[in-house]
Amino acid sequence: MLNSIRVLLSLIVITLSTPVYSHEMTPTYPTFSKSFMAGISVTTLNIFNKRKDVSFYEIGVFTKEWKPIPFVSEYTVIPMKYLDTVSFDVYVSNLSLSSVEYICSVSQLKVGATVSSKICSRVK
Amino acid sequence: MKKLLIVSLLLAPHIPAFAEETPISGLVQTRCLITTDTNGVFGNPLPSKLSTASADGGVVPIVRYDVTLADAYVAKVTTPTAFSSSPSLTDSVAWTGTTAVSKTSDAGMSGYEAAKVTYGYTTQFDLTIAGSTWFSSTATAVYGGTKSFPGGSYTAIVVAECIAK
Repeated sequence: MLNSIRVLLSLIVITLSTPVYSHEMTPTYPTFSKSFMAGISVTTLNIFNKRKDVSFYEIGVFTKEWKPIPFVSEYTVIPMKYLDTVSFDVYVSNLSLSSVEYICSVSQLKVGATVSSKICSRVK
Repeated sequence: MKKLLIVSLLLAPHIPAFAEETPISGLVQTRCLITTDTNGVFGNPLPSKLSTASADGGVVPIVRYDVTLADAYVAKVTTPTAFSSSPSLTDSVAWTGTTAVSKTSDAGMSGYEAAKVTYGYTTQFDLTIAGSTWFSSTATAVYGGTKSFPGGSYTAIVVAECIAK
């Protein structure tokens, strides 16, 4: 019994001392709709930051061949606190809308971080 | 007393109920979650070598991918090809790296390792089953053939990508 308690306490200590940092972006398949401006379409995505070692995420819009596409958002690099969820709009000209394939968020690491995360949603 | 009881029973159905059903709503979306499970640490088994392999005294970085929709994402893990921070180096560094599936939440994911595609320093896995997969990356850096790494702190970055299909 005493040994079981010791093992349990050890597991709790190990679990608490192991940092778990996550990056999440939704939806997987965003869809564009008409915006309040003529000739411009908009879609909305969400990022959840559970990374203490990241305070900024950079947004990018790309073609199928990973060429960058011009877009407008409130921030290109979104400032985010730990455990923040941020909803952001991405505006793209209707002229380049058919070329949009991926919308990605990339973690901007603080000094000492060792894993960079990138999540891309796909516009179908 | 009996009259009082009867009156109470008759009135009972008219007493308004204050308990109400409170709904809890939620939306489960398809998503990919990248989690740093274990940060890597370089071991220094030889003066000219830094390695995350446990046999070399290092700690292998482990990244977990959680996907909630089967066959919706591709995971790409790229091992480092340069130090993100280090003392000044005057010679070239030769990098090698491998990424492998270290743990899965579903027995059906056992085929991920055999089906992985490697190009350059990047290893690609097709996440065909919903659930969690742990990937471990081993990175080795050898300095100028047999030169000793200068003393100091070294950091390199593993890039974990989750791309919707």
